[in-house]
Amino acid sequence: MLVGMSVMIVFSFITPPPQRIIGDASRIFYYHIPQAWMCVIAFAMSMVFSIRYLKTKKLAEDDKAVVAARLGFVFCLLAALTGSIFARVTWGSFWNWDPRETSIFILLLIYGAYFALRGAIEVEDKRASLAAVYSILAFVTVPFLVFVVPRVVPSLHPSDSVINRNLKITMGQTEGTIFFSSLALFTVLFLWIFTLARKVRQFERARQELED
Amino acid sequence: MDGNYVALGVTLAVWLGLFWFLLRLDKRIKKLEEKSK
Repeated sequence: MLVGMSVMIVFSFITPPPQRIIGDASRIFYYHIPQAWMCVIAFAMSMVFSIRYLKTKKLAEDDKAVVAARLGFVFCLLAALTGSIFARVTWGSFWNWDPRETSIFILLLIYGAYFALRGAIEVEDKRASLAAVYSILAFVTVPFLVFVVPRVVPSLHPSDSVINRNLKITMGQTEGTIFFSSLALFTVLFLWIFTLARKVRQFERARQELED
Repeated sequence: MDGNYVALGVTLAVWLGLFWFLLRLDKRIKKLEEKSK
């Protein structure tokens, strides 16, 4: 993991030539898209664990759902941050309320409300049940906000960076190798952080039960 | 091009810092798991 990610970082900055119009700013693409992708995966995992909680009523499933949602929120923030750096370089300002920027902002608000909801309810079972229902409803908006809105409304955001409308990979071999390595490495990193965060939450719960 | 190397250095530093933090956390959790057995 250490070597793989380090090599990917070095190659992403050195190997592909700068793009014709946006120059070196295009390199952010190897980080921005995997972050956005991990955000979608994390929110999907949160929904799956929420469904499992509603079926089994096991608090461990609720723990997994909240950990996945937290990580999704962090990756969403990182995607917004790297996206706004790209916007500054290519469009001249950090935030332009472009459809893609607006949709990621709405997504952050939706999941921000998820954490506010959790914080507002003290009874654990009730909190877990309501949060699970909210998480399922929140995920319904994710494909719409991430994949549909930016393609329906005219946007400055590049849309054919990886795959075009005919589902063909638009990148060259070098760029493609670095991009898909980055995607795989970010996935492994996400799973590692998810496992650690879940275990930390388990210890917190065990400590809380001992105190009670 | 110089800016490119600065960005490479910053990105590598952030990654190595994150990796070091996660590795330490991983070791701590493993210790706690062994203790709780």
